[in-house]
Amino acid sequence: MKKMSVIFAVSFLAAFFAGSLFAQEVKFAIPLPLTGTNAKFGEIEKRSYEIAMEEINAKGGVKGKKIVLVFEDSQGKPEVARSIAEKLIDVKKQPVIFGEYSSSCSKAIAAVAEERKTPYLVVTGATDDITQQNYKYVFRLNPTNAYYASGLISFFKEVVKPMSIAILYESSDFGTSGAEDMVKQAEKFPMKVLTKEQYEKGAVDFKPILSKVKSEKPDVIYMVSYVMDASLLMRQIKELRIDAKLYAGGAAGFAIPEFIQSAKEAAEYVVTATLWSPQVVYPGAKEFAEKYKKLYQDYPSYHGAEAYSALYIIKDVLTRAKSWTPDGIRVAMKGTNMVTAFGPIRFEDKAGYTNQNFMDTLVLQVINGQFETIWPQKYATKKYVYPIPRWRDRK
Amino acid sequence: MAAQVELFLQTLISGFLLGGLYALIGLGMALIMGVMRIINLAHGDLMMVAMYVAYWLFTLFHIDPYLSVFVATPLLFFLGVGLQKFLINPVMKVESILPHNQVILTVGIGMILANLATVFFTSNYRSTPVSYASKAWYLTDFWKNAPIELSLSAPWSLSFLAAVIITVALWFFLTKTDTGKSIRATAQDIDAALLMGVNVGVMRAVTFGIGAALVGGAGCLFIPIYYLYPSLGKQFTNVGFVITVLGGMGSTEGAIIGGVILGIFESMTATYLGMGWAPVGRFLIFVAALVFLPGGVASILRKQRLGK
Repeated sequence: MKKMSVIFAVSFLAAFFAGSLFAQEVKFAIPLPLTGTNAKFGEIEKRSYEIAMEEINAKGGVKGKKIVLVFEDSQGKPEVARSIAEKLIDVKKQPVIFGEYSSSCSKAIAAVAEERKTPYLVVTGATDDITQQNYKYVFRLNPTNAYYASGLISFFKEVVKPMSIAILYESSDFGTSGAEDMVKQAEKFPMKVLTKEQYEKGAVDFKPILSKVKSEKPDVIYMVSYVMDASLLMRQIKELRIDAKLYAGGAAGFAIPEFIQSAKEAAEYVVTATLWSPQVVYPGAKEFAEKYKKLYQDYPSYHGAEAYSALYIIKDVLTRAKSWTPDGIRVAMKGTNMVTAFGPIRFEDKAGYTNQNFMDTLVLQVINGQFETIWPQKYATKKYVYPIPRWRDRK
Repeated sequence: MAAQVELFLQTLISGFLLGGLYALIGLGMALIMGVMRIINLAHGDLMMVAMYVAYWLFTLFHIDPYLSVFVATPLLFFLGVGLQKFLINPVMKVESILPHNQVILTVGIGMILANLATVFFTSNYRSTPVSYASKAWYLTDFWKNAPIELSLSAPWSLSFLAAVIITVALWFFLTKTDTGKSIRATAQDIDAALLMGVNVGVMRAVTFGIGAALVGGAGCLFIPIYYLYPSLGKQFTNVGFVITVLGGMGSTEGAIIGGVILGIFESMTATYLGMGWAPVGRFLIFVAALVFLPGGVASILRKQRLGK
């Protein structure tokens, strides 16, 4: 009997000391696609949340409480995401929901959150209508699809002043919506759309379509492509010596290191829109990118930066919130005004959006085989190169 | 006017070069089809394996992808022989309700190869950035005042040339050597070949090996101008399938002509209809060949020969 009580006392003491670092913990479940076709992005985001969690806990957590994250696999399916959200709100009584990757899943959760009056922070879903439905409880930190290319457009307006554009895009949701947006922007400009051509992902030879573009002599060639198509396109443009004033990519395939590795000198001077890059000047961005690379041998995509920053926003909101109830958190979230590694965050109601964060999207240019931020000028790491030399004048 | 001529000629050049490479993919499949009477649906996946061989040789030892042809083709030959001997041959002997269960087996082999590649090499996209990747020759370099500008890509031309050399080598092998003649005999009439003392079982294995080696060579020629990921096989299996049908189910001459036709047709649809139509065009040509020319290009060739 005596022995028992000693064990009790020891284990009690152990528990007490272990717990003394953090008196309490606060637990959040994050829905993410951990299996299925979007699993790669789910993984990037999961790792980024974990990096943020460790940093925050190392600095004392939130109001002295340790943050504990668990991840719920939505498989990238809206109906699964929906049921996860219902469970978190109804059963777990989690006062705030954040996470998910795709637009369709984010949309499903947004509907549940609004109905149950629980704040939801959208981290990566980019379809415009998520924050256009006058939802009071749904906030979004990432710019919407329609604003992805806004930095590029302002670069066009102020520097390039093109009269005509040729648009090539992959025949997927991403490619099509990117191309449609550019057409809309071109009408406003005004700039004449000479060609708008889609291609099947995985095409080997772009020369036929590029020859056609060449014969039309556009000022700008704008391409929306994934991974390797981007470098094939630029290599074949160089081969055919198509001399446009500017070659522009719509993020994705043009904004990743593989693009330069694979296209080499054909990548030089190409500009691309992007939401974020490891080179951006926001505080903490470079540190996060390097830490991620050290752990996982690769730089994170902008999705990683969004997830990483999301947890910092949550921490900031919880610190300011008067009470950790859904309504207390909603009020605090509305008052957010901070700069994260992803960029400045403020949730505004304007242009038909509610609780939407508007921020400058960036333009990168490949200069000397490196991505450099060139636009907006206040974030520039290097001065843009324009006009660019003609192909035959390059070495 | 000049611009239109330039556009047409440039498209023709692209289509011809692409067609030459397509022909090499189709050739291996047609050969296997001719001898074994089965469509090898793992064909593109075998090509993927060869591309990984070329990729790793380039990345680890800086061996030029064109030189890795000499490593990848023998390797693929033995892989092909092994597959035929230990997997396909035993299945051919089994009586089953499905008449072509060896075709289903090739689908399975393809899936396994693609999944193994994903497990070992991840699903990341890879490429071999060779220094001459976007080098090209231009008409104006040779003829200063040319009214039009045409370009000829260096790696594409090199790949095309290598494809032609491999094809010619195959032709010599099939027409001049004993083994080659035995393979053709097996393709023409298995029973007669058996009676003439041809070891049909060995010929099958050799044929599958050669088919795999051919598409392996095609893989090495493709990687400098394309890129690589584990599930790329399907796309090229489709190309090979269309060419085999277009060429006439097992005819090697037919496959070469079919490949070039498909290459030019795809390029022309891309230029004049739009690139989104290229896969539709491929499918159309496939159906058209089945309906209007069931014997493929080979039947036209045969008619001409008989006419003489």
